[in-house]
Amino acid sequence: MAEYENPEIPEGINVSPTHPRKDFALLVTGISALIIVAVLALSLLAGQLARHVPFEQERALAESLGRWLPQPPDLPVDQRRQHYLQTLTERLTGAMELPPNMPITVHYSSSKTVNAMATLGGHIVVYQGLIDTLPSENALAMILAHEIAHVRHRDPVVAMGRGFAVMLALSSLAGIGDGVLQQWLTGVGMLPILSFSRSQEEEADSTALQAVLDLYGHVGDAAAFFEALARRQSMPKSPTMFNTHPDVEQRIARIRDFSARHVNPDQAPAIPLPEFMKAT
Amino acid sequence: MYDLIFFLVLLLLGYVFGQRAEKSHFRSIIEREKQLRDILVFSERRIPDEDKLDGTLVCGSVVISVDFFKRFVAGLRSLVGGRVSAYESLLERARREAILRMKEEARRTGAKSVWNTRLETASIYKGAQQSIGAVEVLAYGTAVKPR
Repeated sequence: MAEYENPEIPEGINVSPTHPRKDFALLVTGISALIIVAVLALSLLAGQLARHVPFEQERALAESLGRWLPQPPDLPVDQRRQHYLQTLTERLTGAMELPPNMPITVHYSSSKTVNAMATLGGHIVVYQGLIDTLPSENALAMILAHEIAHVRHRDPVVAMGRGFAVMLALSSLAGIGDGVLQQWLTGVGMLPILSFSRSQEEEADSTALQAVLDLYGHVGDAAAFFEALARRQSMPKSPTMFNTHPDVEQRIARIRDFSARHVNPDQAPAIPLPEFMKAT
Repeated sequence: MYDLIFFLVLLLLGYVFGQRAEKSHFRSIIEREKQLRDILVFSERRIPDEDKLDGTLVCGSVVISVDFFKRFVAGLRSLVGGRVSAYESLLERARREAILRMKEEARRTGAKSVWNTRLETASIYKGAQQSIGAVEVLAYGTAVKPR
């Protein structure tokens, strides 16, 4: 068998010459970029669709999830505060020409949290902690108008639609069962999970300014809350991009700009808050 | 969160141990191929001068497990298509190892060549969803020596 020989064959003929780590990095970055783009597109689409959910449906949904809302106040003084907030809200909704089927319900909470929020079904929560930072009724009206504007722009239901789409997409991709979705739905019950985009906040601000202008004839004290916030903020600021609320300075600047454009020569002084609204 | 940590640890273990095993396996394959180069392997069915030779069946088989890292990369690859290089090197090792084991058996019988060599590939755990899986390659042929 001398006519046959066995030459040495060079290595690597049958294997692609890619390094496994490079292959891995390429695949992971490429596929996660695809997923992120797809989920973003899906969430935007879901937000657009959610906007068309009738408000009655949104109310019914809020009803079924509404266990998180603060209990109606027991103390007479809290009831008085709640009543005052509701009256102010009704004056504002009159000025803002809300659709007739969009009732706004204000909930007063005596908690010291410095916050107010709007959520599904036209429910607005105002905390005593926030009221304590405000110098006048005009400043409180600005905050309430801002939250009413969110409801009117359908921001809570859009945020929920987006969140739902993202959760659904991610959990079906990751193959997690219904459990996580269930958990998220109960989480919606604790509605602070909803967050609004920066553009939604800015639109709510400008609608609120217009409403306050229509109601009082001027927008004095509209920036009061943000000015108080800016004074308290001594901590290092996070970049604007990562903050859903536009930078406080920017908001103050925008409000001042608006009030400069709507100067009222015989501007009435700011209406003080009633005595019982102050923390005891 | 714990799931993710668990997953990343598995991935790292798969990568470190899988790559180490692959490198040392390739070194050993190249070494033993040199030692067994004098045994010639043919795929030809007809053995020349058949009447003057004695033939015996020789075979060599090997099972190699896929590691977690390879499986994950191949899973990602299956989403977008293309060459699954993670599995290419795995099958290359398995084929060469099977032929080497066949040649070792041929040497024990005193043969100088193996004819009509065939390779069979089988996947173990095929279809079982959560398992890592392994591949078997079997090489067999007719070893011949002068009568």
